[in-house]
Amino acid sequence: MTDRVAISGAGVVAPIGVGFEAFGEALRAGRSGVRGITAFDCTGFDTRIAAEVDAASFDGASWVEPRKLVKLMSRAALFAVAAAAMARRHAGLNPGDVDPERVGVSLGAGGMGPTDLDLLATQAQAFTESGHVAGNGHWNIPAFAQAFRRLTNPLATLRGLPNLAAAQVAIQQDARGPNNTLTTNCTAGSQAIGEGLRMIQRGDADLVFAGGTDAMVNPVGVIGFSLLGTLSKRNDEPRRASRPFDRDRDGFVIGEGAGIVILERESVARARGARVLAELAGYGVTCDAYRITDERPDASGASRAIRLCLRDAGVSPEDVGYVNAHGTGTTMNDVIETRAIKEGFGPHAAQLAISSTKSMVGHMLAAAGAVELIASLAGLTGEFFPPTINLDAPDPACDLDYVPQTARPARFDAAVSNSFGFGGQNACLLIRRW
Amino acid sequence: MPADPPVVEDRGLQDLVPRIIAEVLVVPAEQVQPGSRLIAELGAESIDFLDLVFRIEEALGKRIPITRWQRYLERRFGNGDLSEVITTEVVRQFAEEEAA
Repeated sequence: MTDRVAISGAGVVAPIGVGFEAFGEALRAGRSGVRGITAFDCTGFDTRIAAEVDAASFDGASWVEPRKLVKLMSRAALFAVAAAAMARRHAGLNPGDVDPERVGVSLGAGGMGPTDLDLLATQAQAFTESGHVAGNGHWNIPAFAQAFRRLTNPLATLRGLPNLAAAQVAIQQDARGPNNTLTTNCTAGSQAIGEGLRMIQRGDADLVFAGGTDAMVNPVGVIGFSLLGTLSKRNDEPRRASRPFDRDRDGFVIGEGAGIVILERESVARARGARVLAELAGYGVTCDAYRITDERPDASGASRAIRLCLRDAGVSPEDVGYVNAHGTGTTMNDVIETRAIKEGFGPHAAQLAISSTKSMVGHMLAAAGAVELIASLAGLTGEFFPPTINLDAPDPACDLDYVPQTARPARFDAAVSNSFGFGGQNACLLIRRW
Repeated sequence: MPADPPVVEDRGLQDLVPRIIAEVLVVPAEQVQPGSRLIAELGAESIDFLDLVFRIEEALGKRIPITRWQRYLERRFGNGDLSEVITTEVVRQFAEEEAA
């Protein structure tokens, strides 16, 4: 019998709370983290709302030692480093408990440094100084390059490399084992945790810092997703903007932050007397191989991920009490996901409590799957179903139990967390009571 | 494009270089003494010197390719172990040469 894999700690930096306890309480209270964007002046933007991590509740630098490493971190990397440190503390993990060469990192990450505000400002200034265009009407790249070279700190590039968030986590945590970064966007956080599970199962590591991070509340992120037509424009009612499964939904709200869990081989967790929160028991991953942003209308890619996940965990649909939906609040996702849950769970779908915590934290992109697994963990350990807030009147095509409006006290033994991304990548994770 | 005018006098380097070092390495200003060894004592790693030279370049309003710093070190210390020899004073002397 192979060792099970325990989740022994969780760290989270989310728009509604920093730290596992604060985050769990905010979920239970059904708090929205969406508000008018404060990070930059978004006058004239179609979408002027987001779920930001509040500077007042998050002092990123306080989690970094030595402090000088902060300048090498993108906002997303800083979120990840802080979440990893919180997870370690939550797990009661002390230096010497686990051989550093057997400690891995598996992190979901997206676009990084070049989109941080100060770096965008440097690019804009260089562009202005270059005189915009040469005489022939084309961009004067040599003049831009000269200005850009003079204005750009040489270390800026290091903030833009997506693998460096995982490297920074490794430096802070002395994790000398495998170190992987997954860049599958909306699926990355879930996939990183699933691949972390595999790292332990195949014997490459005994303990893994696994999760995701993203920080796209910047002009490039907001305009980019806005141009794709995926963002809510409910600017006048920020807290009501993210409304998955509701018939009046009009897109997702960008969120930012990070979530990291400590995955641990059972024998290692037992040897150090760890308090185990849950077992990470299943992982299913597929690709639609269909279209870039459209999901397969029959939901076969997503439902297959659910079935693979259940099979991997060796459970039947009836064993699962809660599903944390991908639930973006886009027209397409919520209908197709409902279909996927019905296909994946069969008749038991009607008995499931399903919710989208994106209604509260927005779509945290590469962090989403990780933060949502932590939301499931908060529900499992705290005995409640997190709600789908703002679900006033469900879309008739979304006819399951989405735990509307308020959290529901509930004891359940297993939960599945779904993530379905642009590009058609689908990943599901299953946790169960230890 | 004309170079930016220098924002410091040469004499100001006495104060400016320690201040830049403290900023780059995020250490308290009082720890940066003329004889402080940047690598051995203040925790500098190789990329910190990119940052340091960039900030000296900004302060002097003059382009300083990193290769000039590397050649300066070679000239002074050959291929020896740099962790013991790069001090605040060494950086100040480099900045002074560049400002001249």
